[in-house]
Amino acid sequence: MKPESLSLRLALMFSVAALVGFIGIGLVLREVLHRELTRQQQDQVQARMVDMRYLLERGRADDLAERAKLKIETLASTGRVRYWMWSADPVWRLGAEAEELAKQADGRTRQKMVGGVPMAVAAVSLDATPVRKPMVLIVGVTSDPFDQTTSRFERLLLPIVLGGALVVAALGYWIARVGLKPVLRLSSEARRIGPTARRQRLSEAALPVELAQMGKSFNAALDRLEGAYVQLESFNADVAHELRTPLANLIGQTQVALSRERSAPELRELLHTNLEELERLRAIVADMLFLARAEQGERAAQAVPRSLAAELIKTVDFYEVLLDEAGLSVQIEGDAQAVIEPALIHRAMSNLLQNAIQHAPSGSTLMARVQAVEGLAEISVSNALAQVIPADQLARLFDRFYRGDASRANSENNHGLGLAIVKAVALMHGGSVFARCEQGQITVGFTVPTIG
Amino acid sequence: MKVLIVEDERKTADYLRQGLTEQGCTVDLAFDGIDGQHLAVHHDYDVIVLDGMLPGLDGFELLRSLRAVKNTPVIMLTARDGVEDRVRGLREGADDYLVKPFSFVELYARLQALNRRGRAQEATLLRVGDLSIDLIARRATRDGQRLDLTAKEFALVALLARRQGEILSKTTIAELVWDMHFDSNTNVVEVAIKRLRAKIDAPFAKPLLHTIRGMGYVLEEREGA
Repeated sequence: MKPESLSLRLALMFSVAALVGFIGIGLVLREVLHRELTRQQQDQVQARMVDMRYLLERGRADDLAERAKLKIETLASTGRVRYWMWSADPVWRLGAEAEELAKQADGRTRQKMVGGVPMAVAAVSLDATPVRKPMVLIVGVTSDPFDQTTSRFERLLLPIVLGGALVVAALGYWIARVGLKPVLRLSSEARRIGPTARRQRLSEAALPVELAQMGKSFNAALDRLEGAYVQLESFNADVAHELRTPLANLIGQTQVALSRERSAPELRELLHTNLEELERLRAIVADMLFLARAEQGERAAQAVPRSLAAELIKTVDFYEVLLDEAGLSVQIEGDAQAVIEPALIHRAMSNLLQNAIQHAPSGSTLMARVQAVEGLAEISVSNALAQVIPADQLARLFDRFYRGDASRANSENNHGLGLAIVKAVALMHGGSVFARCEQGQITVGFTVPTIG
Repeated sequence: MKVLIVEDERKTADYLRQGLTEQGCTVDLAFDGIDGQHLAVHHDYDVIVLDGMLPGLDGFELLRSLRAVKNTPVIMLTARDGVEDRVRGLREGADDYLVKPFSFVELYARLQALNRRGRAQEATLLRVGDLSIDLIARRATRDGQRLDLTAKEFALVALLARRQGEILSKTTIAELVWDMHFDSNTNVVEVAIKRLRAKIDAPFAKPLLHTIRGMGYVLEEREGA
């Protein structure tokens, strides 16, 4: 089902609410009106009663009965008021229903059907006077005009309620449109964000409180995406750049070789150099794939519990000849147990050592350490360094293709992925990397969770 | 060595056949899983080189059906560098695997290793020209002179002598001598070879340890060298 327009939904809800409200108010008003009219009708009954009673109680004339009946005739001529009299003395009797009505002669007004007409009726018994026997006086006022007023009110109420609801719906729609303007603006802002305008953000300051949180989350998501996007872009550029040199060498060498007749040894030489370039390309591609796998969240699959110091010693052993050539010695310290994939950890340790060997001054001593710190084992290699590396550069050491010192980089054996691979290996083991530079020593390392 | 190559990529299959034939192998080719399965089941090979992704019948399925009847050593070629493929291949009964792109030297070394597997006990005294290596006494001599080698240098020369005439890549050497199982881009092996050469070749007229550029190293006696 297609979601309806938010404004329409709101307008509809407004009008339903208004309808319910209006109907409620209408019912209350009708009830109030009804009561008020009944009270008025009863007041009229009482007023007529007082009038007539005065005559009947104070009159001393002998023909009081005649006079009373004459007055009643005059008063009842409108047809809205009726009088009855009932007494043991037939002279003081008037009206067909008098006997029946006289039974409740307590002076209170009641709504009754009298001869098929709805009326408010009150009966009061009057004591005997010198000119008359005890009797009951009954006064009635017809409900007709009051009922007409009520029904007219009811007839009017329905269109008023419906019309009001419609007006509220229209107003509600308008309010919703106006109220939702920030949302529309938000969506039009969001629409402008794309690969070409990825710096664009939603303007959080202009958003109402309710939307500010959403805008903030959305902007944060955009920031993360942009970070990944930028990384990917620079990554592509880096790869292209790194592959360009060996490719250019391959093409150039081959073109030069083919430009004239060559002897077999010359061609063999060409194939050898080509092979070396191709090997370099293969190594770069293999490393890139490795990094991509780590970044896609691949974890060390064949992990086994091992002593990190033992693995470090083994790796240092591998580097023995290189250390010897560079006139360096290594001091190994500490130990910790961790669940690791040895081949991967060897690779990371190897890259750390290689990095240190490249940068350490001849004759110095490298420190290779394993330290257990709060559930993590830190594996690091330190070497002396003449210059101090600023913190922002330290953090970048683990970036792909980052070469702190381009002039010293050994392009044959180092394509700038060594420390990025250390980071990948750490990631695959659920660890991280770190680099510190203090007191003429640079320490580069990674962590893996220890056992227990 | 009789080798079956099951590989749908013609160019790869062709250069593998040429390379292996030139190394003295007898090579059969199959370009899809169905043919490959037929050949693998009905003929006896020393080693089978099997691509993982094949038309007709997947390499893994071929391997499974082959393992039901035979134990011919199989080396799987996987295009994806994923652990999953590797683990799957080994679980289905592959004896080794190589990730594309692989080097020919690497493949050949592994084929020979598989072929050697299960052969009779190797000799304890190895000879390459006038170089002799006593694996039990851990002593190497050349032309009657005792060579003063470190433990690793001895392991290195013993490996090269055991596989004499065979080109060993740097990766293979790092694996077998130092137990470093990763594609390292260090020049450790180069330097180690250089040092070994200084001890076993430099004092003598005829070099035995040869560098094959871009591929690796070989220990052999060469005519007229």
